[in-house]
Amino acid sequence: MPKCVIDGREVEFTAGTNLIEVARHAGIKIPYFCYHPGLTVVAQCRMCAVEIEKMPKLQTACSTPATEGMVVHTNSERVIKQQKATMEFLLNNHPLDCPICDKSGECDLQDFSFNYGDANTRYTEERRTYIDLDMGPVIKKNMNRCIHCTRCIRFGDEIAKIHEMVAVQRGNNTEITTIDGRPLETDYAGNYADVCPTGSLTLKDFRFKKRAWYLRKTPTVCEGCSKGCNMELHQEGNVIYRSIPRDNMEINKYWLCDEGRFNYQYVNRKDRVKTPMAGANATVWASAVDQARTTLAGKKLTVLVGSDLTQEEAKLLLDFIPKNFAGANMFHFGTPGIKSSADDAPADALLKRKSKTGNLNGLEKLGFKGFDTLPAGTDAVLVIRGGRATLPDLKAVKTVVGMGVFQAKQAAQFAATLPGTSFAEKDGTILNYENREQKIKRSIHPVGESKPLSEILMMWTNLKLQPKRESASLSLAPAGGMA
Amino acid sequence: MSETLFIQHFNDESRPLDYYLGKMNGYQASKKAFGMQKDDIIAEVKKSNLRGRGGAGFPTGMKWGFIPKQSAKPKYLVCNADESEPGTFKDRDLMRFTPHLLIEGMLIAGYAIDAHIGYIYIRGEYTREAKLLTAAIDEAYAKGYLGKNIQGSGFDFDLTVHRGAGAYICGEETGLLNSLEGKRGEPRVKPPFPAQAGAFGGPTIVNNVETLTAIPFIINQGGDWFSKLGKIEKSGGTRLFCVSGHVKRPGLYELPAGGVTLRELIYDHCHGILGDKKLKAVIPGGSSAPVLTPDEIDVIVDIEPLMKVGSMLGSAGIMVVSEDYCMVKLIQRITKFYAHESCGQCTPCREGCKWMEDILHRIEHGHGRENDLALLLDIADNINGKTLCALGDAAAGPVMSFVKKFRADFEEHIRGGKCPNA
Repeated sequence: MPKCVIDGREVEFTAGTNLIEVARHAGIKIPYFCYHPGLTVVAQCRMCAVEIEKMPKLQTACSTPATEGMVVHTNSERVIKQQKATMEFLLNNHPLDCPICDKSGECDLQDFSFNYGDANTRYTEERRTYIDLDMGPVIKKNMNRCIHCTRCIRFGDEIAKIHEMVAVQRGNNTEITTIDGRPLETDYAGNYADVCPTGSLTLKDFRFKKRAWYLRKTPTVCEGCSKGCNMELHQEGNVIYRSIPRDNMEINKYWLCDEGRFNYQYVNRKDRVKTPMAGANATVWASAVDQARTTLAGKKLTVLVGSDLTQEEAKLLLDFIPKNFAGANMFHFGTPGIKSSADDAPADALLKRKSKTGNLNGLEKLGFKGFDTLPAGTDAVLVIRGGRATLPDLKAVKTVVGMGVFQAKQAAQFAATLPGTSFAEKDGTILNYENREQKIKRSIHPVGESKPLSEILMMWTNLKLQPKRESASLSLAPAGGMA
Repeated sequence: MSETLFIQHFNDESRPLDYYLGKMNGYQASKKAFGMQKDDIIAEVKKSNLRGRGGAGFPTGMKWGFIPKQSAKPKYLVCNADESEPGTFKDRDLMRFTPHLLIEGMLIAGYAIDAHIGYIYIRGEYTREAKLLTAAIDEAYAKGYLGKNIQGSGFDFDLTVHRGAGAYICGEETGLLNSLEGKRGEPRVKPPFPAQAGAFGGPTIVNNVETLTAIPFIINQGGDWFSKLGKIEKSGGTRLFCVSGHVKRPGLYELPAGGVTLRELIYDHCHGILGDKKLKAVIPGGSSAPVLTPDEIDVIVDIEPLMKVGSMLGSAGIMVVSEDYCMVKLIQRITKFYAHESCGQCTPCREGCKWMEDILHRIEHGHGRENDLALLLDIADNINGKTLCALGDAAAGPVMSFVKKFRADFEEHIRGGKCPNA
């Protein structure tokens, strides 16, 4: 491998790699704003300027590929002066109101100002200000905070393949905006906020709900479709505030679609059934389980398993269902029109796929068949679901019992609802469209009285009713290792 | 010099094709070129010591040599007729009076680099010149000097006039190419240079009007002959000097490259300063060139001598300033221009030029502060050489030279609280 020298250290590199990445690999951080590894290089912000021996001018590390024997200095006197100058230029017109800016705490401009900027400003002229138009439901723009890095423009043009973010005017008056001030159209708009290095583009969904430094971050996988994009869930106080993409070069690179990004919202939503239900009435777990068991006893049962469940949950069901409901039919369901992975296909040119659940391939691999119509003679249905699979039309069925995550509207028709956990509340494995096994990680505790599927099944098996007592004081048998 | 290459033809009679064919040996050079090896043409241009007339002064033959012989994408020849450097007005007359000279120059250049498509990117304000050029191109097409199988040579060449929309930055060659492609006129990151990937991604040569109009002379009379027209080493041919400002006879002067000093140009050719006042300053190469003081004007007006005294020849737009003009007002006006024309892509230029303009505006209007001059110099230093394209240097260089060389004028403004000339 060829070698170059950065700050006195010999560093190996792959030919064609730019100096920012070569340095990053060696643990040397070169600051930058306009550079983004997933976008074309424009060398506009000039923050990554480094000194290269035998070159008279400072060179931007983003646009300079390392070459054999190159000697690079990232913290020489000239480089430091230039970094200070760039920070000063950028902050001349930037509001110094970090305490009330939503980006504060995770802002490149703020971080680099601390690390590379000067504590004082020499700027005494009038500041440039802009008037912002609404950009639609996803993104809030504050042009005064913009440093003209053009990452958003390039994300639209190059990744989302939609030319909607543009620069208008020029020079000091340059404004980054949408064409004619129209609302954003892409369904990948959330990424605009991700790529923005300042508080100029923020998520309407998230802004002013939680300071960034309070958030606990859990690396997990999106359950929004069979793509399996990697993401992080951010929570505080058992409430999820947002999800952001997590880099995975083999799946989603740096991006996430809006559908997947905002999918988490159902987890904490008010209309989610978080207490056990007997019919339309909230009750205690024991009553609800008892109600479910008695309702289904002796019925010709069909079991519908959501392809939003994990492999672990599905395996539990493969064991549980035959033991408790001999002869019951079992199918997986998830997306109308997608009965098997053969029906699944890319839904757009970037990330989205047609199967709107995360584990279609996994359930198929375990032998589940796709649901089409209820087998003749079915008089009861047990639906087990994460939070994502689309419920089939079950109006024709008299008795339905739900196990898992449901909205109040769905559960209203059920004979019993046993609230389970969403993808944010459990660990597990899912298989994406290419049978890639990925782990989802628990970010929060089950909300309300929800319980993991394993516990619900154990209760189903082990709960013993003590006669001569009111149903409200039913208790659990000590056997069975219940928590 | 009694005989000139260009200026003797600068009248309305010389515009038609008939004049060009009859009086200027028209389209003989291209005929000769079609019989030559492409490499020999480039060698001849190298021998001529023709250096780019747009501002950078890069040897033209060497530039042509950078075009790869094989290319998957089509090659392009682009004439930079954006002529937007303040103080420059030579290309306009070349296009107005000798359009066929430019067309033939492009024909030869296109043949030499194996490009079959040429564009003349002309500044938007030159509406008349764009019309005249288009008419001349139509004439050339009609007579078979453009189009398919030109003069039976088997060489095809199409030429189109593309009008700019009024941006200085579109005179920067990669900004020009972006504009030509229909994008925002913003300079590109280099490398790749246009010779590798230029217009529409194809290898491209961008040459100035005056550069291209010299080509027919070089082919007709040889590189050596052209080189000897120049009076100093490494600079061949004649040069068009655009003299403006406080001289008695401003205008266009054609003189041998390196054959005249600034003093001779101002006092002999232009007959001295208006009203016989004293000379205060000279900007020798368009407004982006660092300013010279009266004791620096014995310098030869050419690329290297001017570089040695810390300025540049640039586009040879020479602006002469007499003693009663305010230097602060002048640099404020110049800086305002660059701040206005900054494309806004890169940080130092976008933020710094406007900042300098604001400070200079304050000083000129009596609100300067003691530390403003040190601040100006530091801002200029933070811009100079640190921007994406040369516009930053163009804005910073003049400010630094004005503050350093005319510091007393600035201090007078700051201490007096007003412009003494106002």
